[in-house]
Amino acid sequence: MEANSSPLHRGPLIAAGILLGAGLGGFVDGIVLHQILQWHNMLSGKLPPNNLIDAKVNMYWDGVFHAAVWVMTALGLRLLWAVGHRRDVPWSGRTFFGSLLIGWGLFNVIEGIIDHEILGLHHVYEYTIRHLPADLAFLGFGLLLLLAGWALVRAGRTDTTPAAASH
Amino acid sequence: MLKLLATLALLLAATTAQACAVCRPRVEAAIHAPDYTDTLLLLLLPVALLVGGVLLLFFSPTLFSWKPTPPRSTVAP
Repeated sequence: MEANSSPLHRGPLIAAGILLGAGLGGFVDGIVLHQILQWHNMLSGKLPPNNLIDAKVNMYWDGVFHAAVWVMTALGLRLLWAVGHRRDVPWSGRTFFGSLLIGWGLFNVIEGIIDHEILGLHHVYEYTIRHLPADLAFLGFGLLLLLAGWALVRAGRTDTTPAAASH
Repeated sequence: MLKLLATLALLLAATTAQACAVCRPRVEAAIHAPDYTDTLLLLLLPVALLVGGVLLLFFSPTLFSWKPTPPRSTVAP
């Protein structure tokens, strides 16, 4: 009863979902683009991986970035654990999965704008003179994820069962 | 079969990672260049922005909060 009269907060669940989504999206980026396709290396704009030494230096900075992505994922898990104990946070699957998509989308958009377009540290596909198509596809995919995530989070507005009361 | 065994024997006998033994000092020098800290900070900027924004959202008492109307069943006389 008390939970019905006190304010509900979706922010903490959205925050946990965004961090976890950004972390998992970062792992997809690291595994698929960096390792399997051998694209999108962190310093390839400054140091194209055209020889073994430069490729290994890029590999080092890829590792540093993905270590930070791991920290983001672990922090997201910690926030989700905290949310699970709160009675003022609705335990909504739509809100959470929407937030995961928003997190992945934000990862692509923020990384794409800062690293690709502003700083020029690297591009999604470095081995061409026309970097823009792949960079725009990366950003466009991020925007699609943001839109899908936002729609799910909106749909979850009606979910009001508190986290601590749902199990 | 003999060729395969000979190749395996050669591989076992070879010292590991000859190429890297040669290039390793150059790799380390290129990583720990004078601009190491600058590169590190630039690289981590997107992650820092994301984490900062999310923590603000997590600890904000007003963002995405609302007071729900009581369900009809509890309001009934």
